[in-house]
Amino acid sequence: GGGGAQGSGAESAMALYAEPLPTFRDVSAGERQALFCKKLQLCAATFDFNDATAHVKEKEVKRQTLLELVDYVNTGSGKFVEAVFDDIAKMLSANLFRALPPSERMSSGKDSESYDPEEEEPTLEPAWPHLQIVYEFLLRYIVSNETEAKQAKKYISTTFVLKLLELFDSEDPRERDYLKTILHRIYGKFMVHRPFIRKAIFNIFSLFIYETERHNGVAELLEILGSIINGFALPLKDEHKTFLMKALLPLHKPKSVGMYHQQLSYCVSQFAEKDPKLAEVVILRLLKYWPVTNSQKEVLFLGELEEILELTQAAEFQKVMVPLCHQIARCLRSSHFGVAERTLFLFNSDYIWSLLAMQNRQTTLPILFDALDSNSNSHWNAQVLQLTTNVVQLFKSIDEAFWAECAEKHEAEKKARTEQETQRADNWARLEKAAEDARARR
Amino acid sequence: MAEDTLYPIAILIDELRHEDTNTRLGSIKKLSTIALALGEERTRAELLPFLTENPDDEDEVLLTLAEQLGDFVGYVGGPNHAHCLLPPLTQLAAIEETVVREKAVESLNKVCEAMSNDHVLEYFVPLITSLAEGEWFTSRVSACALYAAAYAKVPASARPAMREQYKALAKDETPMVRRSATQQLGAFAKSLEQSAVIEELLPLFSALTADDQDSVRLLAVESCAALAKLLPRDECAARILPVVQEFARDRSWRVRYMVAQQIGDLSESMGADLTRAELLSGFQALLGDAEAEVRTAAAAKVTVVAQLVGAETTLSALLPAMSSLANDASQHVRAALAGVVMGLAPVLGKSATIDNLLPVFLALLKDEFPDVRLSIISELQQVNQVIGVDLLWQTLLPTVRELAEDCHWRVRLAIIEYVPLLAKQLGVDFFRFDESSQKSLSDLCLAWLSDSVYAIRDAATKNLRELAETFGAEWAVSNIVPKLVELVKNPHYLYRITILTAIEQIAPVVGTDVTCTTFMPVLLAASRDAVPNIKFNTAKIMQELLPVFGAVAVDSQVKPCLKELAEDADMDVAFFANQALAACS
Repeated sequence: GGGGAQGSGAESAMALYAEPLPTFRDVSAGERQALFCKKLQLCAATFDFNDATAHVKEKEVKRQTLLELVDYVNTGSGKFVEAVFDDIAKMLSANLFRALPPSERMSSGKDSESYDPEEEEPTLEPAWPHLQIVYEFLLRYIVSNETEAKQAKKYISTTFVLKLLELFDSEDPRERDYLKTILHRIYGKFMVHRPFIRKAIFNIFSLFIYETERHNGVAELLEILGSIINGFALPLKDEHKTFLMKALLPLHKPKSVGMYHQQLSYCVSQFAEKDPKLAEVVILRLLKYWPVTNSQKEVLFLGELEEILELTQAAEFQKVMVPLCHQIARCLRSSHFGVAERTLFLFNSDYIWSLLAMQNRQTTLPILFDALDSNSNSHWNAQVLQLTTNVVQLFKSIDEAFWAECAEKHEAEKKARTEQETQRADNWARLEKAAEDARARR
Repeated sequence: MAEDTLYPIAILIDELRHEDTNTRLGSIKKLSTIALALGEERTRAELLPFLTENPDDEDEVLLTLAEQLGDFVGYVGGPNHAHCLLPPLTQLAAIEETVVREKAVESLNKVCEAMSNDHVLEYFVPLITSLAEGEWFTSRVSACALYAAAYAKVPASARPAMREQYKALAKDETPMVRRSATQQLGAFAKSLEQSAVIEELLPLFSALTADDQDSVRLLAVESCAALAKLLPRDECAARILPVVQEFARDRSWRVRYMVAQQIGDLSESMGADLTRAELLSGFQALLGDAEAEVRTAAAAKVTVVAQLVGAETTLSALLPAMSSLANDASQHVRAALAGVVMGLAPVLGKSATIDNLLPVFLALLKDEFPDVRLSIISELQQVNQVIGVDLLWQTLLPTVRELAEDCHWRVRLAIIEYVPLLAKQLGVDFFRFDESSQKSLSDLCLAWLSDSVYAIRDAATKNLRELAETFGAEWAVSNIVPKLVELVKNPHYLYRITILTAIEQIAPVVGTDVTCTTFMPVLLAASRDAVPNIKFNTAKIMQELLPVFGAVAVDSQVKPCLKELAEDADMDVAFFANQALAACS
């Protein structure tokens, strides 16, 4: 702890600050790689940026040196040779791998209930003036043609990757942006790490979904996954389908889904596009996680549902249409006009209309009837009322007789339901009585 | 009749297949009713298998089911049959949703508690094993939390296998499972033989504190104190202390924070000597940590540590940190310190408190953050006992007076609530109306009656009663009563109500004579107030004070007045007047 310089080998690194190192131009070509290592060692010292008055001079020396490093590796070849990999790894670890600073939410004593990541300003990383250049250097190191995966994987190891992944929880969007680019490049270059990276991301998601519901980098991780999934070969491996089922679909559950829904929805529809049979399970799971009280979230779900339905084939649609229509009916009846309206937009799609009405109205309309009928008569919102009336007209225009039949059955059902309710109440009353008798006997 | 005995399960089946979640939820909530109606045998033979074979898909329903089954031992025929609850609960302990799983685990442990030792071995242990071998991590996560309860109930021969299983889970490839096992480390260690803790769990603990997942590592650090508690002191010193010392210097503030949080328990386990010699320097470093979070956690532990190490060490080792903490840039650090710092006074004794702590108290009393001030005020008592009331008063009076007029009502409230205590300690001299006296608090007590916040006015009336009880009727008659009679003339009805409430509070203390001669005219006038709220409150107060008035006054003055109010055009006034009248007879 403390406010001074930290880091592995901090003392030896600090010694390098006593005498200014020459610039690369000041030494002969043959000495440059040795100087490179020296400068890497110097940059392995870290400073406390919470205290602006501490180590002002050293901070500036380090910043200049970091810039020189980036500059040096950008010009010419022969820089990233294995002899320097160890110093590179040490410099990177010392700077990047740290406990993320406490966030405001923690200091303000706010619990998870009252904290809304969409409302609050992120805590920016105080050491960013150094970190940014370190990330820039790491990026150059990874993408350089000279860095061969075979040798570098010893340094860009699974442990290294795991620690990078932990940094995705940073509140600073600039940092997460760099991490996203870098991890994506690592995934591309280090084929051996691919399964490990997917699994590690899976673990992060599990922790987020099942325990903390708090992670700042879900959107960025999903963005990387989006392009990984995009590259999956057909037929899809079981391992990848499991990822969909056990990680991506449950990601719909957390209340902060709005923060990453766009990226999530892209990943999910990639799966449905590659393997249309998956539409069935995707829709059923969406229905399972359907929000009960959160209207904003509901609108997001409706958008995703529409995207998936566009990719759903007739056979899969028929497998899900009953529970699906029950949910659509509930959404139509929503007193939140935004939800009802978004639901009605589903009927605008020619393809969805064909699935719902042209091909399957015998099953779907009886379920939707009550919601359509009552909305078109009495929804408080004029826009919803009008849109529903249009949908009703559409149904009537394709099969007037069936609409009338549904109306008739609906009346009968309403009556039957009242009777059922009486019957239920009666049953329960007798049951309670029997239980009371049993209690008295005990 | 046969049909009649069959139908409960049929109802349940119907209800449990109902498409509406709320209906299903409703019937699951009445599961015990159904079980009672079915009887124990059919509950075991039909109801539980039905629930196991037809799992609901709605988490809310499953959560309720998991909860219900935890209290179901009585409905299935007692402990001897408790094991038949295990299959449905095991299923619930393996599903995806965390809250359901946790509830199922809780219920499983309840059932385990009720089961006989033989049955635990026969039914419960295999259940843990099946969960521990579950393919998906959710069931393995649940398994981790079942060992502690079962371990104590199985014979020694079955125990090594259970320990091995638990250790395997703690090394599971899924971090979620390792986390769960680590979380249970303390609880499991508690039911283990001490030798097994030392030989098996401590090495495991070390391995977990070096886990490559930070989240696992932090949980391991969190169990330091729990483990230390279970070990003899020499083992503690040899095995836990070095780790703790290292964690206190860890690069991650989160690790240091965990140490700071546990430092109280840890030092207790280590004992005063070891704490002084080995832990204190680490604690000092935590008090001055670069991260405010860590300082906050450490500051909150100052008193417990001080109590352990005693006055001398506290003075030399901890006190220097106090003044910088009291002026810390983070309000959370200051609040944490304020919450405990008063407890240092009894540790340090009178002269050290006067010399060293009073400046800290004063600084915190003047803090810009109300929570800090509040913490100090509410604990003044502890200091009072140490340095005596006169001195406390001289040093703190100006600040207390300032706070009595603080713009945060909670701070004012804390002061009011402290006044009766002050009164007992300071004595009546501080509570006389003497215009020249600077030290009087009486004017404050009356000023609070016209505060703009109801909670303050209300507390002010209760405060007057307590003062009257402390100083006696005579004091109240000469100091409070005339002021109340004056104040009731306030043009604002809310303040008039407050005074009437104060009269209600004081009257029983000053007795029948004063009440009838001095307060009665006030109440009678109030009954003719222009504001209905005053009128019905007067009726309510009269009802309260009937025993104080005495029969004569009630008949001659109160009743006629109430009768008049009972005829009032305002519904509420008439209602309360009638209620009071009814109480008269």
